[in-house]
Amino acid sequence: MRKSANPRKPSLWRLLLQPWIWLMAWRDTRRERRRLAIFTVSIVIGITALVTVHALRDSFERGFALQARALLGSDLQISSRSPLDREKLDTLLADAAETISHETTFTTMLGFANGESARLVQLRVIDGGFPFYGEVISQPAAAWAELRGEDPVVITEPALLDQFGLTIGERVELGQASLTIGGTVLQAAPRSGRFAGFAPDVYTNRAGLEASGLLGRTALASYHAHIQLAAEVDVDALMTTLTEAFPSGAIDLETPDSRREQLGRILDRVESFLGLLATFSLILGAIGVAGALNAQIRRRQSSIAILRCLGAPAKAATAIYGVQAGVLGAVGTLAGVVLGAGFHALLIVLFGDALPLDLGFLPSPQVLMLSAAVGFATCLGFALLPLLQIAAIAPLQVLRPQSNRSGKRLPSTRLLAVCLGLFGLLVLLATLSSASLVRGVAMAGGWVVLFLLLALAGKLAILLARLGRGRPFGFAVRQGVANLFRPYNHTLLLVVALGLGIFLLSLTLHLRGWMLEQLDFAAGSGPNLYLVDIQADQVADVRAILTDNGLPVLESAPMVAMRLQSIRGESVRDLADEDRIPPWVLRREFRSSYRAELNATEKGVAGIWPPVEWDGTEPIPLSLETGVAEDLGVNLGDTMELDIQGVPMTVVVSHLREVDWSRFNLNFFMIFPPGVLEDAPGFHVVTTAIPEGMTSGRVQAVLARSVPNVSVIDLTQILQTIADILKRMGQAVQVLALFTLAAGLCILVGVLLNNAEERQREAALLRTLGASSAQLRTILRVEFGSLGLLAALVGGGLALVGHWLLLRFALEATAYSFDWLAAGGLALGSVLLAIVIGNGLCRGVCNTPALESIRSNNG
Amino acid sequence: MNDKSVNTPPLLELRGVSKSFPGRDTPLQVLDAIDFTLAEGARCAIVGPSGSGKTTLLGLCAGLDQPDTGTIHLAGEPLHTLDQDALAALRNGLVGFVFQNFQLLPSLTALENVMVPLELQGLRNPRRKACDSLERVGLSARLDHYPNQLSGGEQQRVALARAFVHQPRILFADEPTGNLDAETSAPIVELLFKLNAEFGTALVLVTHDDELAAQTGRVIRMRGGRIMSGGDDA
Repeated sequence: MRKSANPRKPSLWRLLLQPWIWLMAWRDTRRERRRLAIFTVSIVIGITALVTVHALRDSFERGFALQARALLGSDLQISSRSPLDREKLDTLLADAAETISHETTFTTMLGFANGESARLVQLRVIDGGFPFYGEVISQPAAAWAELRGEDPVVITEPALLDQFGLTIGERVELGQASLTIGGTVLQAAPRSGRFAGFAPDVYTNRAGLEASGLLGRTALASYHAHIQLAAEVDVDALMTTLTEAFPSGAIDLETPDSRREQLGRILDRVESFLGLLATFSLILGAIGVAGALNAQIRRRQSSIAILRCLGAPAKAATAIYGVQAGVLGAVGTLAGVVLGAGFHALLIVLFGDALPLDLGFLPSPQVLMLSAAVGFATCLGFALLPLLQIAAIAPLQVLRPQSNRSGKRLPSTRLLAVCLGLFGLLVLLATLSSASLVRGVAMAGGWVVLFLLLALAGKLAILLARLGRGRPFGFAVRQGVANLFRPYNHTLLLVVALGLGIFLLSLTLHLRGWMLEQLDFAAGSGPNLYLVDIQADQVADVRAILTDNGLPVLESAPMVAMRLQSIRGESVRDLADEDRIPPWVLRREFRSSYRAELNATEKGVAGIWPPVEWDGTEPIPLSLETGVAEDLGVNLGDTMELDIQGVPMTVVVSHLREVDWSRFNLNFFMIFPPGVLEDAPGFHVVTTAIPEGMTSGRVQAVLARSVPNVSVIDLTQILQTIADILKRMGQAVQVLALFTLAAGLCILVGVLLNNAEERQREAALLRTLGASSAQLRTILRVEFGSLGLLAALVGGGLALVGHWLLLRFALEATAYSFDWLAAGGLALGSVLLAIVIGNGLCRGVCNTPALESIRSNNG
Repeated sequence: MNDKSVNTPPLLELRGVSKSFPGRDTPLQVLDAIDFTLAEGARCAIVGPSGSGKTTLLGLCAGLDQPDTGTIHLAGEPLHTLDQDALAALRNGLVGFVFQNFQLLPSLTALENVMVPLELQGLRNPRRKACDSLERVGLSARLDHYPNQLSGGEQQRVALARAFVHQPRILFADEPTGNLDAETSAPIVELLFKLNAEFGTALVLVTHDDELAAQTGRVIRMRGGRIMSGGDDA
């Protein structure tokens, strides 16, 4: 019986389930396995980088969380100016708390040398096991444990002993008691609140406190409950319960999350940087995937045409290569996950001991699974574009190999759907790395614009090469230029792929340089010793003392105390009654300064500073910190009346500043222009930095003798801990950036090699026709060198713009820097790499007999 | 002329078929108002100088391309209205191909190449039929060889085995001996006609070889995109 046509339209999904499709996909790999290995390597490199970076990012986050707990010492801290009702707390925390430790803290005088000298200290009396996280290191080691004993004893900061020339075992006067110095604290117990007091910490136990007779005589004590929570406790709900259980404003609550802010914006920036690095790695991998699959499908064009001629629907051919891409993607993803976990472990082995973070050896399973899923989805997503081309491969090509007409255009709806899907994938990736949907959409939009600009550059290159034909160049140069615009040229593809790769790698180098600068700046250059209450005529002496002791004067600022009287004509008393503004802001004493410029930790967000159109009369222009402006409910142009030591003054908010308070620089809520506060009563503050390994005791002793009224605030210990973290993070950032760079370069080599086959075939043909090795080299050098140069110029140039945009909007930087040297080196390296690959292709052809070259290239 | 039956509808029928390709300035007219029929089991050869439109006509008849104007019916199916998937299904069911450059899938063995049309039809065990087909062309000892391990003549034999394995109603052959020397060509031609007769398959043969064309019994001569003689087999 004769057969008749039976048009059937199996769906792609049904085809994917057919064993024959899988069999054909397997058969098709037989002669391509070496090439497909390059395809897989692209995926492996991309996923390895993704997993490594994401795993480290996650480990850092977890490490920081642990570190933040160590900075607080507990899971929750309750502070109050009045004694905490312990029974009430025990009841409220019955289910939530594992352990509660109480602390009483107040400032008092500590007498030295039988009462001949004394020093204001912050006395801390801790009952119970606080800190629950982190470690207190004392000298001798047993001193901290002795503090828990029955005998009255004190432990001090080492600088205090240096300052007064005392040693462990001598006695100090605390209230009515004379107590033995049991030791010094090298790593202190976390303090409650960043500036809980300006005085150095001195610890005593309950016996010491009772012996001193001080408790009950001071009205300025603060009381803290340090709580170690049971697992699975809803901290937010517990905080709400506690807030509601006590009168408004009676207690302050602090958690590791809020304490984490001590590490400042720099941590967020490192996390953002790592997120960007992970996205870059993945997109580099995706370039490799798309490039390799594109080359694979181009090579298999005739096979696809034969299959279609024999009756395979376009979907079947698509399914065959889709299965190939999927399986290779899965294998590459699996290998990438294993390698990524291995790299993570290696980095922890190399740097883990040095980091003051408790980083796990293995990445969390969630991170591995998420990275694998995102990586595999990206691999498949970027494979779709080349796969779409299959529908446009005409079966007619079996008769006319040069024909690429299918009678059916590249399906625009499917193309649109794939493009939208890829855009969605980019949004997902960008959102994962920036944790903000709006920023994610903006970044994905940026990728699209970048892609279009690179495509435009590619088109322009083709146009320029076409305009350049007929110029009086030699044969080889003309051939090389003509290769850029002739049919079946790779100019557009390579400019986009190489340009995107160079863009990402340049951006990585710029961001790496900036990030290292930030980490170095944050770790090393900030002040850690504050000298306050310096009178105007003492500033020169204080500066001289610091200089004589080999210490830098980092900042010096006048400080004038003032209070708010009214806002927009409404008195503070009325505003307090309305309950719209927190009472503490209205009643507090503002210590303000005057200067014409912003420092490195400030960023102007609105208005102009210094004021330009101010005639020196009231209202005085004022620069206000954004946080306090928000609390006060004021904006640019609003007026306020201030009481400056009894003198009323009207000011107008003419500038708003963001301040990075975590940096411990001299910052103020209110800054006046010079020429207003110079004669107002106040004092000066000078900051310096005690180098690592030194204590401040010696300089404090000199200051105490020369300028006894000057108080010293010593933050060396807490800042040293933070500096350690940041320095180690700098090393990790360096390693990860270089890893991404190496991975990206491997992928770019793969892209160039994948697209070089056509040129190799032509070179073999020209060789057969008698072209010399020098001519072939010139042809390939001109083409590949031009492509490399164009990609480097466009990709590198766009990276500058991208870097600025990322710093401005994603990393919210106040200072910009570009790593010109590294990026220039990369651009030059890319051009050389392209030329070397051109040379390599040429060498392959020149060293092989012509007939063999033709056969192998036609095979 | 093969007069199988003048009363039954032709297996292949082209009416007013024209085809042009985009040219530098104006479209290049490759086929102009072609009328052509072929009966079930009939044979014909299309001859003409290079650029006369032979291969384009073959591509249209086989459903590899679409005409600009005119109608093409194959086994009653209007090729000019079918989409690519329907055309593919129709080729798989009704059509066999032999090409000048063999067009074997390079990563498949001889046996696997022959199995492909059957596998596309969803046949559960295509191996036996494919082996039979290769045996008919004298290649039972070369089943597991890849195309690059076979001579030109052997590759064309594999192509013949693949073309006939699913017993098509029509075979399109584009210069089947164009890449072979005279000594290798003769047995291939012999085999082609033998299989054609054995399966009762209609044959459309494009060739420059007048002697080979004459063996089909009907020669269609083309020039400048038009059929000069032999268009209708009635």
